[in-house]
Amino acid sequence: MNWDAKIIAFCCNWCSYAAADLAGISRLQYSGSIRIIRVLCSGMVHPQQVLHALDKGAAGVMLIGCHLGECHYLKGNEVALARAEVIVDTLEDLGYASERFELTWVSSAEPERLVKAFHHMIARLADLDRGSPVFTAGGAGRLINET
Amino acid sequence: MIGHNGSVDMTASEPVGAVMVIGGGISGMRAALDLADSGYYVYLVEKTGAIGGAMPQYNKVFPTNDCSMCIIAPKLVECGRHANIRILTLGSVLDIAGRPGDFVVRVRQKPRYVDTEKCIACGQCSAHCPQSVDDPFSGHIAGRKAIYIKYPQAVPFKYQIDAEACLYLSQEGKCGVCAEICPPEAIRFDDRALEEEIRVGAVVMALGFQTFNPAVIKAWGYGVYPNVITSLQFERYLAPDGPTSGVLHRPSDGKPVRRIAFLQCIGSRDKHHCGNEYCSSVCCMYAIKEAVMVKEANPELEVTIFYTDIRTHGKEFDRYFERARSETGIRFVRSRIHGVEPRGTRGDLRLHYISVQGRQVEEIVDLVVLSVGLETADDMVSLADRIGIQMTPDRFAAISAFMPVHTSREGIFTCGAFNGPRDIPQSVIGGSAAAASVAVLLSGARHSLTRTASFPLEQDVRLREPRIGVFICHCGTNIAGVVDIEEVAAYAATLANVVSVERNLFTCAQDTQDIMGQQIRDRELNRIVVAACTPRTHEPLFRATLRSAGINEYLLEMANIRNQNAWVHGFDQQTATAKAKDLIRMAVAKVSGLRALHPLRIPITPSALVIGGGVAGMTAALNLALQGFDVHLVEKTGQLGGNALHLFQTWSGEHVPRYLDGLRSEVVNHPRIAVFYHSTVVEVAGHVGNFTTTLRGDSGRRKTVRHGVVLITTGAKRYIPEEFEYGKIPKVVASIEFDKLHMHNEARVARGTSFVFIQCVGSRNQERPYCSKSCCTHSIQSAIKLKKEAPSRRIYILYREIRTYGQRERLYNKARELGIVFINYELHGPPKLSRERDGVLVEVWDHVLHRPLQIQADVVILASATLASPDASDLANLFKLPLNADGFFQEAHAKLRPVEFHVDGVFVAGLAHYPKPLEESISQALAAAGKAGCLLARKEIALEAYVAQVDPGRCDGCGLCIEVCPYRAITLVEYEDEKGVVLKSVVIDQVLCKGCGICQGTCPKQGVDVAGFTCAQIEAQVDAALDDTVAEGT
Amino acid sequence: MKPRLNFEWLHGCSGCEIALLNSGELLFSLFQLVDIVHFPLLMDHKYIADPGEEGDLSLPEADIGLVTGGVGLASHLKILTAMRRQCRVLIAVGTCAGHGGIPAMRNQWTAGQTMETVFSTATTDTAPVPDGVPALLDRVSSIDEQVRVDVCLPGCPPRPEMIIAVLEALIQREEQRLPHKSVCETCPTVRTGKGQATIHRGTVRAAYTPGEPLDRMRCLLEQGLLCMGPVTAGGCGGRDVPLCLRSRVSCRGCYGPVRKYGNQLLDMMNALASNGIDYRTIIDRTSLLRFSGAHGRLRPKGERK
Repeated sequence: MNWDAKIIAFCCNWCSYAAADLAGISRLQYSGSIRIIRVLCSGMVHPQQVLHALDKGAAGVMLIGCHLGECHYLKGNEVALARAEVIVDTLEDLGYASERFELTWVSSAEPERLVKAFHHMIARLADLDRGSPVFTAGGAGRLINET
Repeated sequence: MIGHNGSVDMTASEPVGAVMVIGGGISGMRAALDLADSGYYVYLVEKTGAIGGAMPQYNKVFPTNDCSMCIIAPKLVECGRHANIRILTLGSVLDIAGRPGDFVVRVRQKPRYVDTEKCIACGQCSAHCPQSVDDPFSGHIAGRKAIYIKYPQAVPFKYQIDAEACLYLSQEGKCGVCAEICPPEAIRFDDRALEEEIRVGAVVMALGFQTFNPAVIKAWGYGVYPNVITSLQFERYLAPDGPTSGVLHRPSDGKPVRRIAFLQCIGSRDKHHCGNEYCSSVCCMYAIKEAVMVKEANPELEVTIFYTDIRTHGKEFDRYFERARSETGIRFVRSRIHGVEPRGTRGDLRLHYISVQGRQVEEIVDLVVLSVGLETADDMVSLADRIGIQMTPDRFAAISAFMPVHTSREGIFTCGAFNGPRDIPQSVIGGSAAAASVAVLLSGARHSLTRTASFPLEQDVRLREPRIGVFICHCGTNIAGVVDIEEVAAYAATLANVVSVERNLFTCAQDTQDIMGQQIRDRELNRIVVAACTPRTHEPLFRATLRSAGINEYLLEMANIRNQNAWVHGFDQQTATAKAKDLIRMAVAKVSGLRALHPLRIPITPSALVIGGGVAGMTAALNLALQGFDVHLVEKTGQLGGNALHLFQTWSGEHVPRYLDGLRSEVVNHPRIAVFYHSTVVEVAGHVGNFTTTLRGDSGRRKTVRHGVVLITTGAKRYIPEEFEYGKIPKVVASIEFDKLHMHNEARVARGTSFVFIQCVGSRNQERPYCSKSCCTHSIQSAIKLKKEAPSRRIYILYREIRTYGQRERLYNKARELGIVFINYELHGPPKLSRERDGVLVEVWDHVLHRPLQIQADVVILASATLASPDASDLANLFKLPLNADGFFQEAHAKLRPVEFHVDGVFVAGLAHYPKPLEESISQALAAAGKAGCLLARKEIALEAYVAQVDPGRCDGCGLCIEVCPYRAITLVEYEDEKGVVLKSVVIDQVLCKGCGICQGTCPKQGVDVAGFTCAQIEAQVDAALDDTVAEGT
Repeated sequence: MKPRLNFEWLHGCSGCEIALLNSGELLFSLFQLVDIVHFPLLMDHKYIADPGEEGDLSLPEADIGLVTGGVGLASHLKILTAMRRQCRVLIAVGTCAGHGGIPAMRNQWTAGQTMETVFSTATTDTAPVPDGVPALLDRVSSIDEQVRVDVCLPGCPPRPEMIIAVLEALIQREEQRLPHKSVCETCPTVRTGKGQATIHRGTVRAAYTPGEPLDRMRCLLEQGLLCMGPVTAGGCGGRDVPLCLRSRVSCRGCYGPVRKYGNQLLDMMNALASNGIDYRTIIDRTSLLRFSGAHGRLRPKGERK
């Protein structure tokens, strides 16, 4: 796939970050587009950071937490789920395709599931960007009368 | 002499402050961690190459459906890196000499053939090893290499060689490819067994269990028909990290499965086939769990569970069962299947059974799962024999219900499934209880053999420009084979604030740590980036290096260029090299903004408040007092004893009143225990380590006590039946009342010739969908006694399921042998009672005879439910604790934290947690005391370093973060600015905060941030990831 | 010699100017502080700015330039560029200049859609767009999107006291002390951290006991009223109670986002959702960007990227 934009993946320390480590131990292969940022909980990520990443040129942002009911901090992933709706709605409000954001759950023992989620996201974004020039940094604040 | 709780007269000499725990399963791990945390050096002997026991094999655990590996992995790591736990893998105990307080244990360690100091677990050996064998970890459904790790998260994370399978070792030097390719040269073919004599003060036997091997009985066709598998194999089929990646198919032909039958009680409750007379306690729940899991993943599957009795007696178990039955569409058939036959040649299987209606039924399925029971392995029985501890006829450790973790040999304790079949929480409780009992025996030797590290003074980096050192690991060829390290290193040197870049063959090697320390001093580095493997395993190591070199350990960031780069882009050097640069740039960006963190340390008031003076409360109080801590014991009535005052014997026939007298006198006479009668808790302030609690006595007088921990042992109350004419017909009595009538041989009992017990009165109904757990056993015991007194008596037990779990099953068998009649009834068709002459007429539908049955009873005994204490909700509010839907206290985690809460320093035990028999209350009370003791044994506790902090320049007290905090750590305060304007701000209780950052994700103005993961730091990483010009130096 | 001051009014409503002119004695302090050399609203100073016309803008040089309003027409951009060129220090006065303000609400549509809606729909006329209406730029921007801005002074309108204070600080070469916290900072209402599960429609009024002081009234957001206070820059009431709150009315968000790159819509929705409040009960969410639609925040609906 000739598509080299970057995807930011906020991974919870207790589940998906561990699954990403395990994916390595199992030598599962996935695209070089993913940039994992370790957070302590999916509930820690402010939607502003999702928007920020898109504004800065990320093709997509993933937030990957523990399965519902398995949060290390009781309810962080539930809050993340509530926020995900806001993010999806607001991205559309703000003129972004909401497909650029994905919230998903992966336990620390599910490296395949994680890699599948990566593949799926990349395919979705590649689809989205097919035919239109890949959205690049600086685009969000770009003014039409500048060009 | 051994008193209650096992206090031993230790006048002879100072005991040894070390303990040996035999068995590295969850129970042994818990015991080891608790002991190491409370000041004892621990030798953890594990017979295989890695600790973890059975839990890593499970896909999920009931009733929470948590991923098993996810919850146990942190415990594995904790054991693995604990400074005061030494793990002896491939080890076995030969014998134990000496006396309580001073044993000498001979341990033999089999050769591993891999130098654990050198092995970096890169897995290249395994990838190249030509020899494959069946993998016992997967229940032999998949293979593994001759050089292997037991499972991917294994601790210690080091490879081992199976000498029998290895070509080099078994065929005199053939092969040896692993030794040739091992990057750090860790293979040791000349490794030899090691024998060691270890001095310890006490021994904990957590020998665990093995699953019953159904191949020994031909009837089920296991080992003959490939589509007959065990529940453990099924567990591996379901596991996403299992050999089929969680996809289920028929073992015979790989086709999708359409119909599954679970057969219960395989190797349990089965005197005739295998001699395992007991109930294995866990199979009903795990079968339901497996059925639910497979049904969720494949809704079109037909799943049937063939059972004898559904024994879902644990907390939240009955609800789980009900959901499975009513919502997931799993079929439950009460019938015991005695044989499996093939049908045709395509792998289909035929089952015969007799339905509840008495008809012959035949069913065809394509997968049979045998719910195999738990048993003690032969080598463990012989170990017990060598050590000289008594065993039960069911081949489990013989214990007293009053001393549930003491073996027959003084100073040697026992826990987990070796004490009788039990589930994970019971095993965890056992582990903590054993640790608590050891702590009493060895209280004089606490901290005598444990180590604490000392570090040089830390340099203050606040006012200095970041001077970053980047250490890039080759990891042999693991990283360097894919990533162009030279190019990456040259690139890293161009990044802003980077003053030094080093490349290391193995950054984790001890000599590299010395080089790093030297670099830090020579080049005055104040922030470190290590580009290597994952922080999850190696951050602690590098943190220690930073501390030794005099910089704050939190000024470290790891770039995960192995697990999350080289290994996942193994065929694409260009991508891996480019990504390695990105990851290092991100780490440099983050580390530049890191600040030194100093976790808050708070002193601990070394005393406990125990609320509730029943057996659980007294047991916990006495254990803590014997460990050397002061205890305030609060009892709302005028006497100690609680519900046990109504009990006469334990399930094993031990005399309760005598025990209770002894316990009570020990408690009231112990100088460290102050008992407050007629008292209740009315006010609570403070938090873990320092609580201030106000008690109110019956005269209304208030008293304030200061304490470091709280134990809630407030018990439960009994249900007063509203059904079955209770209170209207005098011959209908509740079981506790009956016990008294029986003891005094009151006329109704003495003259009675016909007795009817009705089970589940007030339990397992719509209003209280839980099992009261002890009533089946209790009724059967009474029935046996009645029958033995006069064999001519007719005795009926009307039940819904008989739940004589574990070794209690012998009582059930005995009752049936004695001719006691068991009649099953359903919730929708309860027995009807009416007054008849001078007796009671009981009408019930007989499912065997298929007609209504009328019984003339002289006495009807109602086994009434155990209810949550009505005081629980007040106490829950005071201490901010959750209650479950039935009003019992909700522990922190149903599986691994069964006596703790999310509020630190508060513990629960006994009936306050859930109905349970005396033995389990005592065990849980010891566990709670053990956990409390772990805290009190330290002079101070260090809190989380990653906690939320308020930025006073940004927070304006809008209060939006208050309610989102799961730990109620955030409060709003008012203050005045220099002009006297009243302003608001939130404050975060650093003790309660756990650092989840939900507040950070909520705050609209970045007014609150979790140290180490602030919005600015995360954004710096995002910026660096996306813009490769952002962090470049000038 | 007093510093020279230029004052320009771009895509705004004149509210900022009226507030300043209406500020009584404060206006005189302005006159005492600076020499006004260019202020078309007050002074007759001819210059060329119309689109299409050739020639340079003949603005005088000044030490300080104040600009109100955002940029919506080519002429605005021309004037703004000239202001930047002629003024040593440029100050964005008011929310329109800083964040786009009300005029930037049209960024939800294309310029063509806007013209059509205004001139050619049934509610107005069905006539074509008349001649002589200057062409709209594709979107309304804040002035800092177009030129470098030294100080941003939000408000709709800003407090005249604050304008004077900023000028004073500038002249005295003191550090600017602009409010940097949200409206909640000086709001005296009672907060408990526990709110309603839903947000009421705008027709619902605050619950309070008449005559009771504000510091006894429950926080409006906690009452279930959509108060923009937590995400909105404070300062409307000086160090005293925020203006809308004085009338027991929830904050509309007119000072723009409290954080420089904050997003009033996203921040507000997020805070509500995090607290378990059903944010979808809010009708016309995008109107929460009614004061801060510049910086590319509001965009035409069809334009998904």
